[in-house]
Amino acid sequence: MDGPDRAQERLQARAPETELIREAQAGSRAAFDALVRQYEQQVLRLALHLTGSEHDAEDIYQEAFLKAFRYIGNFRFECSFYTWIYRIVTNLCLDQLRRKKTRREDQAVVVDQSGDEIDVLSSVSDNRSFSNPGKELDRKVLGERIQAALSKLTPRERMVFELKHYQGLRLRTIGEMLNTTEETAKNTLFRATKKLRTQLAGLR
Amino acid sequence: MNCELAHERIVLAAYGELPDEQVHELDRHLAACTDCSQEREQLLALKTLATAYPVTELDPNFVARSRMRLEEALDAIPPKRWYERMGQRILNNFASLQAAPVAAVLLLIVGGGAGTLGGYEYAAARSAHTAAGIAALAQAKADAQPIESAPEIANISSIEREPNSEIVHVTYNTVTPQHIQGSLDDPSIRQLLMLASENASSAGVRDDSVGLLAAECRAGHGCQGEGIRDALMQALRYDKSVAVREKALEGLQPYVAEDMRVRDAVLEALLNDSDARIRTTAISILEPVEADTSVRQVLSTVANSDHNPHIRTVSRQVLSRAPEIQ
Repeated sequence: MDGPDRAQERLQARAPETELIREAQAGSRAAFDALVRQYEQQVLRLALHLTGSEHDAEDIYQEAFLKAFRYIGNFRFECSFYTWIYRIVTNLCLDQLRRKKTRREDQAVVVDQSGDEIDVLSSVSDNRSFSNPGKELDRKVLGERIQAALSKLTPRERMVFELKHYQGLRLRTIGEMLNTTEETAKNTLFRATKKLRTQLAGLR
Repeated sequence: MNCELAHERIVLAAYGELPDEQVHELDRHLAACTDCSQEREQLLALKTLATAYPVTELDPNFVARSRMRLEEALDAIPPKRWYERMGQRILNNFASLQAAPVAAVLLLIVGGGAGTLGGYEYAAARSAHTAAGIAALAQAKADAQPIESAPEIANISSIEREPNSEIVHVTYNTVTPQHIQGSLDDPSIRQLLMLASENASSAGVRDDSVGLLAAECRAGHGCQGEGIRDALMQALRYDKSVAVREKALEGLQPYVAEDMRVRDAVLEALLNDSDARIRTTAISILEPVEADTSVRQVLSTVANSDHNPHIRTVSRQVLSRAPEIQ
């Protein structure tokens, strides 16, 4: 038999998202916190991979959920909450990518808590090559080349490629998130893959 | 198929976005075209290369730090006052009215109808009272006269006997039954079926109407409009009869991939429906969108917490089958 705690947990896990949204709209901070917990991992992972910087990812995460908190009253269930929150996040990421494009030269740095900069790719490990430093180095160099090639894409192409290739979303959903059509998302993905192949031609 | 189109389709196929019938067409083209075949090899190589910059697991400290910072910022925002929330609600309601003029028109019609009915009831009650004296004088005559419209009596709303008299006042409502026949594609028939699916008091009538609407959707007969889908979603969410909900679910199956609202309704059924059969059917219906993040989230919740062991097992199987969203 399940204990009362287990039953309570199950009840919480089943609490429909719609109810949480309505409660958050009515001013419940606890309901909004529950929504944050539901989506924070995805938001942080997307922002971190796109920007390559923990600092930027944290800023985007914070700004996105603050915006969501302020404007949750405007959410009218015309799309899923997931699409709505991703729309906010992708817009912030696009702004960040645009700003970065003007000032960055393919640096992938992370500013850790103490303020020191570290190379993000050096922290990317791969178990398969863990025991082989040569292979690890090759992989690191390859990772840097991929990141450099990704940074040559326009912010929109980068975003569509990220959402499709790395986050595995459907093109229709991507179109909805970026306020455009599935057809446009498809064309953007096509352009992005073409550019990346040109950029990475020497590696194959 | 020309090579330019093939190049586009190669990208879509590589990302699982090409419909099956076009995949076969593309395969035939690739078998005969070396250039396009190379193009596909290059794209697959790019996909492999791109894994060298993977999406990494998040450091729990990083997540905790971000959350703490957010909580501090949220704490600093003063809570909305009641009149601000009220204003927001009014604005939202106004916006939904703008977005749904049909709802506004319906409200107007319902209001007008209620007013007319109220007026009619009042006038009927008054005339019943004034007619009482005449009725007493003509009692014998009235005894001999059957109520001509007896078959049209819908219900008796009140019966009142005059004190120390044989005179009885009966207030009854009449209704004229109507019959209509036509094709399932006829908009007025569809309208009646949709009304029946929501309002019929008999589960049998709801079952018939939802069954017919669902069959139309499954057969692809003009369910592109939102009315029928809405009626099926409504039935799936709120109908008390399991058979009706099951039929509604089956009718929604063709639209789960293309209509996010349908997907969400099926997810709600998977999470909340009390009947295990409905939840099992919902899992199988979600197959075309099982890689979607929200679907995976619901499946993992169900895999952990559904009280039916079979449903938990099936959810786990689907989760292990679908590619990871990474």
